[in-house]
Amino acid sequence: MNGRVLIAIAALALAAALVFAARPHEVTADERIDQITTELRCPVCQSLSVKDSTSETAKQMRDLVAQRVRDGRTNAEIEAEFRAAYGDWILLSPPVASWSGLVWLVPIAALVAGLVLVTGRLRGTDPMRPAQPSATEVAALRDRVAREEAAEG
Amino acid sequence: MILARVVRIAVVVAILALVVTLALAFRRDPHDIKTGTIGKPAPAFTLQRLDGSGEVSLADLSGKVVVINFFASWCLPCTQENPALVRVYERYRGSDVVLLGVNIQESRENGLAYVRRMGMGWASLSDDDGRVVLSYGVFVPPETFFIGPDGVIAGRHIGPIDEDTLVTAIETLRARAVR
Repeated sequence: MNGRVLIAIAALALAAALVFAARPHEVTADERIDQITTELRCPVCQSLSVKDSTSETAKQMRDLVAQRVRDGRTNAEIEAEFRAAYGDWILLSPPVASWSGLVWLVPIAALVAGLVLVTGRLRGTDPMRPAQPSATEVAALRDRVAREEAAEG
Repeated sequence: MILARVVRIAVVVAILALVVTLALAFRRDPHDIKTGTIGKPAPAFTLQRLDGSGEVSLADLSGKVVVINFFASWCLPCTQENPALVRVYERYRGSDVVLLGVNIQESRENGLAYVRRMGMGWASLSDDDGRVVLSYGVFVPPETFFIGPDGVIAGRHIGPIDEDTLVTAIETLRARAVR
C-alpha cells in the first residue's frame, strides 16, 4: 500500500469522525445539566462554575438544576430562576441583553478604533495627526505675517 | 482633525464614566447589597423546625414583619451577631414582629446543639436541601432579610448584623405598615 492510499484512508476516517461527531442528536438530561451548571457561577467560590465546584452550595445548585430539568423546564427558565435570586452576576458570561452585556461591546469598539487608526496610517493620512493647511491657507498666513511685520516697522 | 477630537472626547467620557462608577461603588454599604430579590415578594417556604416540633410556613405570617436570619454553627460571624439577635428577639417577643432562623449547610444535630448553646428562643428551621437559600439568593451566612407585612422583601443585610441596624429596619417596616 503506497503512501497516497494511506493518506486517503486517513482523510476519509477523519471526515467520517467529523460527520459522526457533528451528527444531530437529542441532548440528554445529563448533558443539559452540564451545560447549565457550566454557565452558572458558584456563589461561594472564586470564579468557579457550579459544575467545577465541590462546595456544598454548588452541590445543592446542581441538585436543583437536575430537579428543574426533570420537571421539564427549559435552560432559559432555569437560568432565569437563578438570575431572579442572585442577579446577572450568577452567570459566568453576562447576558448580551442587559447592562452588564455592554462589556461585550468593548472589544468590538476597540477593534473598530484600531482598524480606523491602521487604515488611516496605511493611507498616509494619520487620523490622529492634524491635517496639513492648504496652499490658500499658507498664502493667507504669510500675507498676515508680512503685514504685521510691516506694521511693527 | 475631527477624528482626533472625537477620540479625545471619548477618552474623557470613558475616564469620567470610570470615576462615577467607582464613586458610586465605594459609596454603597457593602453589607446592603440589592440583588434580584429586593422589592419582590418573598419566596414562599415551609420548613421543619430544627427540634422536630413541627413546621413553619411563611404564608402563615402574612401581615407581620418577618426577619429571616440565615445561620450555621460553623460560621464565626453568626456567633458574633447572636447577642444582638437575642436582644431584639426579647424586645419584640409577642409583637407583630417575627424572627426566624434558617439553619443552612449542616446537619440538624449540629444546628440544634448550636441553637440551644446560644440561647436562641425564636423558631429555628432547617433548610436541608438548600432550596430556600437558593431562592433567596443567599451567598454565605450570616445573612438577614427583612420582609414587610405585605410579604415583600424590603431589605437584606450581608454579614454580621448589629442591634441598631435590626431595630431601625424593623421600625421602618412597622411605621410603613401603620401608614
